[in-house]
Amino acid sequence: MFAAFFESVKYVGHLVPLSFLRVFLGYTYLQAALLKFNADYLTRPRLAGEIAEILPTLQAPLWYKNVIETIFIPHWQTFAFIVVALEFAIAISYLLGYVVRPIAILAALMALNQLVLAGPGHDDLPRLLMATHLLLAWIGAGRCLGFDYYFFKRRRGIWW
Amino acid sequence: MKHFLSFLVVVFAGLFLALFIKSSRDPSKETKPVLRVFASSSFIAQWGPGPWLRTQFEQTCDCRVEFFDGADSTILMQRLKSEARVGADIVLGFDQYDLEMAKAGINWKTISVQNLEFEDDAKPAMSSAEFVPFDFGVMSFVFRKSELPQFPKTLDDFLKPEWKGQIAMQDPRTSSPGLQFLLWLIQVRGEDGAWEYLKKFNPQVKAYSTSWSMAYGLFTKGQAATVFSYTTSPVYHKVEEKNLDVVAVELNEGHPLQFEFMGIPANCQNCELAQKFADLVLSKDGQKVIMEKNYMFPVIKGVKDGTIFAEIPPYKLRPYESVPSQAERERLLRKWSALRRME
Repeated sequence: MFAAFFESVKYVGHLVPLSFLRVFLGYTYLQAALLKFNADYLTRPRLAGEIAEILPTLQAPLWYKNVIETIFIPHWQTFAFIVVALEFAIAISYLLGYVVRPIAILAALMALNQLVLAGPGHDDLPRLLMATHLLLAWIGAGRCLGFDYYFFKRRRGIWW
Repeated sequence: MKHFLSFLVVVFAGLFLALFIKSSRDPSKETKPVLRVFASSSFIAQWGPGPWLRTQFEQTCDCRVEFFDGADSTILMQRLKSEARVGADIVLGFDQYDLEMAKAGINWKTISVQNLEFEDDAKPAMSSAEFVPFDFGVMSFVFRKSELPQFPKTLDDFLKPEWKGQIAMQDPRTSSPGLQFLLWLIQVRGEDGAWEYLKKFNPQVKAYSTSWSMAYGLFTKGQAATVFSYTTSPVYHKVEEKNLDVVAVELNEGHPLQFEFMGIPANCQNCELAQKFADLVLSKDGQKVIMEKNYMFPVIKGVKDGTIFAEIPPYKLRPYESVPSQAERERLLRKWSALRRME
């Protein structure tokens, strides 16, 4: 498996620059997740506070606002846990190059949420992130310098 | 698919375990007293003055400082009331328009400010012993001077055709600078004159944004030629972007002041620590950090000497008048909304 990790450079060497982008994003997500884990994000209603602040001016479909108001805010603790866990999952996946495709789709969905919540004027970063995740998923960025190459070689299919 | 689901399960379980271990170790931390600080987002953000003040304070207090994010001043007040059981020890970040609401709902202790020499511009805001200003800003319109052959000199200059749809403003119902502008107009022109002016001014406005940062975003993205902001805003562009093109204009009418206050609730649990934290905020080092991180003027004399903030020319200021009551402000805002609906 480890041999395949480096062997990938030989066969999909043109993806090396994308692997650096993937690892960089993984590191960024790891930092964000650790910051939240070490601070009070999981123990205080920070997420609920942030969302409650945005809600009155949110330009989103009514059903989305309702979901936020009736499900997200009252159950902020569960959703804060999910957010942090997903950030850890994205970080580990991107750093190791393992199950990158499905994780990148999840990451793009998270960025889409951030895009809606960011509002006009602050949506550049989530928009760019979403495009980057979709690109990584499309290409299968875990196949170069990642463990996905090992599974791709043996099993093929759309997951690697 | 199996790999993906297993991976997610492992990560979620790992985080759950890590949280469990973390929480089982936590009680040892709680042996130290905890100072609970409610503050605005800009104060406690990584780029704000909060983290530095926390580090400095924890070095000497034998305590732990815990920040509670109040977003902006309005939400800060709501959180303060809704989370009364958490018990804030000190609150930082409400402006002059929040003081009435703060006094109505909560009792406050007197903050000692002996032996401190306040800036002359800040002294009018010292009328209450319970709320002490810790920074202030002078409001003005901010421009890119390369885009302007001639600076506006009065408010009437903004009614000229070249300003149509070029001004980024804040909604006075949701934003303190927006309310500042409305009350400034009323102060300068009288109430009837202000409404007359607004009828002509509104077509010049690109958008009334819900917050200062959204309005400022329109300006920085080039979607508006000017924005109602602070005279210290150009300093941010000089320091962070080495951009000397952004300037704040001086108008003949004089400029309004905005103050940020702090207060210690009467039901504080660590009142002595709260007073010491207030002392740190008003110390020269604390004031310097607040000035440099929040890009606002310090309230203590001598802090800005020798810094880029001392290079900002003194603007003609409007006298700091008593703030209209909440009921009066609501009446004015209803009238403002009606005026907008008529367009």
